[in-house]
Parts: sequence; structure tokens; C-alpha cells
Amino acid sequence: MEHGAARDSLTELRRGVLEFCVLALIRDREEYAFAIVRALGNAGGLVTSEGTIYPLLSRLRRDGLVTTRWRESVSGPPRRYYRITQEGRNALEAFIGDWGRFRGAVDALLAGEGQGR
Amino acid sequence: MNAMHPDPLVRDYLGRLDAAAWPLSADRRAELATEVRDHIEAALAEEGRRDEVAVRNILERLGSPQDIVAAEASRQPGGAPIIVNVASPPAGTWGPLEVAAVLLLTVGAVVLPVFGPLIGLLLVWMSPRLGRREKAIGTLIFVLLVVLPILGLIAVVPGGSAPVSGWMRLA
Repeated sequence: MEHGAARDSLTELRRGVLEFCVLALIRDREEYAFAIVRALGNAGGLVTSEGTIYPLLSRLRRDGLVTTRWRESVSGPPRRYYRITQEGRNALEAFIGDWGRFRGAVDALLAGEGQGR
Repeated sequence: MNAMHPDPLVRDYLGRLDAAAWPLSADRRAELATEVRDHIEAALAEEGRRDEVAVRNILERLGSPQDIVAAEASRQPGGAPIIVNVASPPAGTWGPLEVAAVLLLTVGAVVLPVFGPLIGLLLVWMSPRLGRREKAIGTLIFVLLVVLPILGLIAVVPGGSAPVSGWMRLA
């Protein structure tokens, strides 16, 4: 497998998990978009293009997994805060289960490969 | 359209984002523009400086407008479509093809006679963004700048110093 193909897989992986990472970030508190982007950046390697967060947030709103409200800000114009909905919690719980199984299976296979035959 | 941003790099970026966002509905296009604008402002405030290096880094981390708009087109279970314009970009917006065509037709007549405008005319007819009226105007320019002078040359040259006799010979 070429390096390019492996990197494409990584891009697809990121794309698949990113919305659940966002939901996890706002599981216990509401946050505004820029703070979410920063938190994802700090998590390391999850977001290559920060701007793509905004389409993602838009889709989460459309799908009813988050709601938003505007709040005044002392440091500038009002900010839009994102908050998880019950549907969002359900989706996140389902993903956590799926991810645990997926990660376990992949880790086991990768470990097996490493030992060789 | 939003008010112009003071920084030229940001203004250029937002312009490219607006152009790239033609497939989106007008509402979503405006909303995305605001979100990206607010992001840039927040990032600049966080940096504490607004010099060119800071702006470039922020815009680079944002990613290309094309990538951002591409991310809009992900699966939607239901509801109104966000991507509404799946056909060619709206007429009237010129891309590099159209600019090259115009340049070749006009400047090309001087710099690269006959061939420049010929290629320019070809590009005009190939362009999906130019309407019939623009294509007709392009053809007219070609005729005026290329065809007529060629006919004039044919008339003048064989007839020696007398253009009138040359025309009469052709007739």
C-alpha cells in the first residue's frame, strides 16, 4: 500500500470520527465554535483544515444533534454557543460503543501482524 | 454582501470563499461567510497581532475555500438541500478561462496576430460561463480585429500602392 493511500485512509478516519469528537467536547457544557476548533486542535492531528469544522457544525444543527443560542461577549460581537441535544447524546453513546469494539479489533489485528508468522 | 474587511489578504480569502461557495444556497453561503469571518477575527484577537505573518498562518490553518465548501456536501438524512446549484456556475462570473479568452482576443491581436485571437475565440465558444450574447460579441471582436484586416491586406498587397484598384480586382 502506497503512503498516499494510507494517508487517504487516515483522512477518511478523521472525517468519520470528527463529529463525535465535537459532540464529546460539548457533552457537559456549551461551547462556541472557535473554542471547539481550538480544543480539537489541541487534541492533536484531528483537524487539518480548521474551516471544515463549520460545515460539520452546520450539519450537526440540521441533524438535530446540537442546538445553538447566541450569547453576549465582553470581548466582541455576540457568539453562537453550541449545546448537545438528547439525540446528540444518544448518537455519542452509540458511537462510543462502536468505537470501543472497532479500536479493540484493529489493535488486536495490528498487534498480531507485528509479531509476524 | 458583507462590508469589506480591512486586511487585503483576508478580503481576498473571503472573496475566494464566496466564489467557491456558489453551489450553496444563498442563506448558507452568507452564514458560512459570517462564521469564517468571525473565526478569523477570533484567531487574530487570540494572536494579539494583525501583521501579515499572523494573518497568513490563520488563513493557512483555515484551509482552502474549496476544501471548506467541499465539506458542506456531506450526506444529509433529510430536510432541505444545502447544495442547490449542481449545474455550471452562474453566468456572468468569469474564471481564468474567460479572462484568458478576452486577453487573447484583444491583446493577442497585437502580440500574437491571427493565432492569439483565434485561440481566444475558441476559448470563448468553449466556455460554459459565457452566454450567447458574450459569444456573439467575442466573435464580432474577432471579425473586427482579425478578419477585416486580413481582407484589407489581401486587397492592398496585390494591387501595389492602389488599394482601390485592388478591391476592384477582387470584385
